[in-house]
Amino acid sequence: MKYKLTHLTEYNYAEPVSTYHSLVCLTPRTLPKQLCQGFSIEVSPTPAEIIERVDFYGNTTHYFSLHAPHKKLTVKTTSIVECLIETTGAPIRSDVTCAEARLRFMQDRPLKVSLLEYLLPSPLIKWDPAIVHFAEDCFQDDRPLYECVHALSRKIFTEFDFVPDFTTIHTPIREVLAAKKGVCQDFSHLAIACLRSFGFAARYVSGYLETLPPPGKAKLQGSDASHAWISVFIPDYGWCDFDPTNNVVPGERHIITAWGRDYSDVPPLKGIIFSSGKHSLSVEVDVIPVD
Amino acid sequence: MLTEASVNLLQSYRSGLNSYDEILDVKGRVKPHWQALFATLEKLGIDELKTRNQEIIDKLRENGVTYNVYEGVDGLNRPWQLDPIPFLIEQKEWNLIAKGLQQRALLLDLILRDIYGPRNLVRDAVIPAELVFDNVGFSRPCADLILPAPNQLVMYAADIARGPDGQMWIVDNRTQAPSGSGYTLENRIVMSKLLPELADGMYVSKLSPFFNSVQNTVSRLSGKNKEAPNIVYLTPGPNNESYFEHAYLASYLGYTLAQGDDLLVRDGYVWLKSIEGLQRVDVIIRRIDDDWCDPLELREDSRLGVPGLLHAIRKGNVKVLNPPGTSVLENHAFLAFMHNICRYFLGEDLIMPSVATWWCGQPKELNFVLNNIDKLIIKKANRKSRFRSVYGRLLTAKDKEELKKALIQRPHEYIAQEEVSLSTTPSLVDGLIEPRYAAIRAFLVSDEKGYHVMQGGLTRSSPVKDRFVISNQHGGLSKDTWVVSDKTDDVQEKITIPVTASVNKQPSLPSRSAENLFWVGRYCERTMAVVKFMNIVINVLNLDRNFGGSSKQEHIKILLQSLTHLSSTYPGFLGEDSQELLNKPYKEIIDLASDVNRQGSVASNVDSFLHAVGAVRNQWDIEIWHIVDLIENSFHEMKNRSSMNSSNIQKTLDKLYTSMLTFLGVISETMPRDNSFLLLDTGKIIERILSKISIIQSNFGVKNEANVENELIEATLLNHHLLVNYRLVYKSQLNLEAMLDMVLFEKSLPYSIVYLLDSLKANLDKLPETRGERLNDAQKAVLEASTLINLASVSSLSEYDKVSLDRKELFNLMSKVSRLISSVSMTLTNMYFSHTVMQHSFFKPTENDEI
Repeated sequence: MKYKLTHLTEYNYAEPVSTYHSLVCLTPRTLPKQLCQGFSIEVSPTPAEIIERVDFYGNTTHYFSLHAPHKKLTVKTTSIVECLIETTGAPIRSDVTCAEARLRFMQDRPLKVSLLEYLLPSPLIKWDPAIVHFAEDCFQDDRPLYECVHALSRKIFTEFDFVPDFTTIHTPIREVLAAKKGVCQDFSHLAIACLRSFGFAARYVSGYLETLPPPGKAKLQGSDASHAWISVFIPDYGWCDFDPTNNVVPGERHIITAWGRDYSDVPPLKGIIFSSGKHSLSVEVDVIPVD
Repeated sequence: MLTEASVNLLQSYRSGLNSYDEILDVKGRVKPHWQALFATLEKLGIDELKTRNQEIIDKLRENGVTYNVYEGVDGLNRPWQLDPIPFLIEQKEWNLIAKGLQQRALLLDLILRDIYGPRNLVRDAVIPAELVFDNVGFSRPCADLILPAPNQLVMYAADIARGPDGQMWIVDNRTQAPSGSGYTLENRIVMSKLLPELADGMYVSKLSPFFNSVQNTVSRLSGKNKEAPNIVYLTPGPNNESYFEHAYLASYLGYTLAQGDDLLVRDGYVWLKSIEGLQRVDVIIRRIDDDWCDPLELREDSRLGVPGLLHAIRKGNVKVLNPPGTSVLENHAFLAFMHNICRYFLGEDLIMPSVATWWCGQPKELNFVLNNIDKLIIKKANRKSRFRSVYGRLLTAKDKEELKKALIQRPHEYIAQEEVSLSTTPSLVDGLIEPRYAAIRAFLVSDEKGYHVMQGGLTRSSPVKDRFVISNQHGGLSKDTWVVSDKTDDVQEKITIPVTASVNKQPSLPSRSAENLFWVGRYCERTMAVVKFMNIVINVLNLDRNFGGSSKQEHIKILLQSLTHLSSTYPGFLGEDSQELLNKPYKEIIDLASDVNRQGSVASNVDSFLHAVGAVRNQWDIEIWHIVDLIENSFHEMKNRSSMNSSNIQKTLDKLYTSMLTFLGVISETMPRDNSFLLLDTGKIIERILSKISIIQSNFGVKNEANVENELIEATLLNHHLLVNYRLVYKSQLNLEAMLDMVLFEKSLPYSIVYLLDSLKANLDKLPETRGERLNDAQKAVLEASTLINLASVSSLSEYDKVSLDRKELFNLMSKVSRLISSVSMTLTNMYFSHTVMQHSFFKPTENDEI
């Protein structure tokens, strides 16, 4: 399946902004499961230059700055991505148990070195006994890790409500856990905290999800959204993605732009402005299948 | 060689010894390299030493040497403390120490490059992976910042102290923005000034080669050999604990002192916002920590850094020392692996050992720590942690169990260190020479030949006996550190302040500094204007009181109300129910003098003045600091409202006035006539015009009876420093037209309005132009004001409405001129200073301890 992705971010400022510095992390990665065949970024007002860089995790970022007063800023990225998996939720056969996986992380030094930063707490992901307690019934030493992650994903999916605007990216995980609601970032952070607290390596994946319109209806423009899910390291298999928000194993409708330890490593767009006023923000994302 | 007296000098010292001592050997004899010093001390005698100690305290205060303590009792600015007895170390021993330090610096540089590069240390299991990935200093955005220099670690400071066998050990590393070298220099300067004879009979190695080496390294890094490089010393600002040092070193080294807001990144370059416009920056020596350098890629809530800085570094357009990311080396766990790292990289042993350190992330080490916890200090491996170091032996049984539990739960987060025994060294404490524990901070800089070690350092000794508290934030004495030999050919070090910067070019004046200088001028003059007029009013009041209070009180009321106008402390004497205040004016006057929280009061103006002065402290030389010290003293006196009364207030006001006048005097005698001076002077003139006009307007805006007006004329002339001149010309006849003629038009009198307007014009003409040949708005406003004044005639200004008694023309002219001159201030702000827009981040940060 081939997709055309557009991501339009628009800022409107109450007062003119004199200087703006921004870092954009919206380029789809090229991976065995997906090919990024084209990417463009348009910024208005037009910056003097847009600098591309590959970050520590191999994600592509773009930096630009504006130095003339402006009251409106738009950043539009367009990408063409070909996804190479034909079916959603390709089944994985892995019988490595939780106990075995933990042992491997401890004893296989090169493996531990490569996974360590996904095993440890990170800027937005820490855990406490309540989080451990929440995940306890998902992880049994003699069960395959893969199944346990599924169980965790299912548990989050069934016990939590998807409620936009209840949380911000800075709502601590324990609050999300207490309220049992949030959005994809929160569920991913929670899932990662649970996994790491039990000694497993998990990372945060940022990307897009193609949404399907209700049967018989046309898809609305801008109805798609940027999305986030997790990836767990399963020994002998490798990194395996899970989407706790939808309780699925991501397939071709999930398009990956970046990964890191948590959201703070890969915010889609961040900026520093010099202004005295407030701003409003709107985001429109379209994931359109093309032939 | 030593007499009884010196034995006496050390009498109480001997009894306090319980570990390795710096001056006495095991048999209680003074070690050879201390003998000359103690011979001199003995000659001086303890009383003279005490006197000199007081002189040192005074000198440091006068010089404004401070170390801000965050939780200090009275907020900021704790005076720096220097012990009159230096720490002596033999040149031979120091050479060995220097070798050890050079090896350590080299190793740290290799580690730094490896961690942000191939990570062979981890791959080859020389260090555990936690030292990289569980290290808060490991900054992923900084992984590709390469400094085009032989060493990534350019500046390095090590804390060293003696172990039980007398060997020096490395206790701690400072690698991102090491502090202390400026204090070290100031210590040496003060010592050579106040205790020059202490160095008699020995040779003390110089500090200056170290700073020359810093300058050479920095110029080499700038990559410029023909034109002068633009080098910025980046400080977090006046609230930082070592701001004194930042300002001190910036002016010593000849670099521009700037804060994050003074810089901006554009087109991949870093620019300094100066009053001459944007100036490209070649090198930044930063005194802000890694995390705060760039809010775009590092801590989003940082207001101290420069957004886009990392991008400019990656492009190679600016060099930042030390490169952001170097705090990775400050993780305590490295000390446990230095020996292996040394073998791995250099194939040799460590020349200088580290304090014995165990990283608890390994089972064997963890066990050892758990079993020996009483003998160890437990720390978090990551330095930036709320966890304070813990002495195992000082814990209660319960706390010890808690700690052990924490260690077992998250062993990799902890390290344990042997308690360093440290050595004792003589300190002057409460008039006695007593043993105090001491440690030295040593300084290194990378140069062409490797690492250059400062021949000396910053010794800090504990403020308390039998315990060592090393942190400056907790107080403590510093000591000058002398590397001595018996070569006596060059007795005393001469300190020469290098003149490189002024030879190269005039350092840029950042907009923020420009603005502060402008306000130094304004607040200084504003204070003096209010004080001067307040004094005049008090004199009139006293005269009235002495003669039993005359029936004609109208002039007193007008003068008091003028005081309210002048200081803008409404309603004051103008309020609806001000009759009581007018009857008993002293309460309000004392309030106007001393209430620091009341805007417009003398005290609040002085407070603002002192803040502005402090914010540009690199602009002032030592003489000005002495005056600022005097002003501070009067300020404290002034603020003490309870002790102020109608009879002593003038004494305090006079003292303040004199010291501020001296400040202006020293400024005009010593300050180079550059943009700094021009802005300060312009601020002063603007304020002077506004205050003089305010008094003329409020005293004469309405016509009064002749005898009242005479009193007002006299007061106004006094306020313009003109009463004597006036009497010379007009004898004793007081006349409004004659007075106006003098205070407005007399070109030769420095307080007349035309004179002030001319001076203002001259200053504005010299400031950097921004719009070419045309007059700018400030120049236009001054031209208009001058023209209005010059076209006015005293006779029509003196005219008044027969019914309302208003002097409309005078009043309106004064209003117009006042508005025009205020607009000059606004224009200057827009032209030169308006770079202080608030910075926001779309992505607000969290406190990291949240779960």
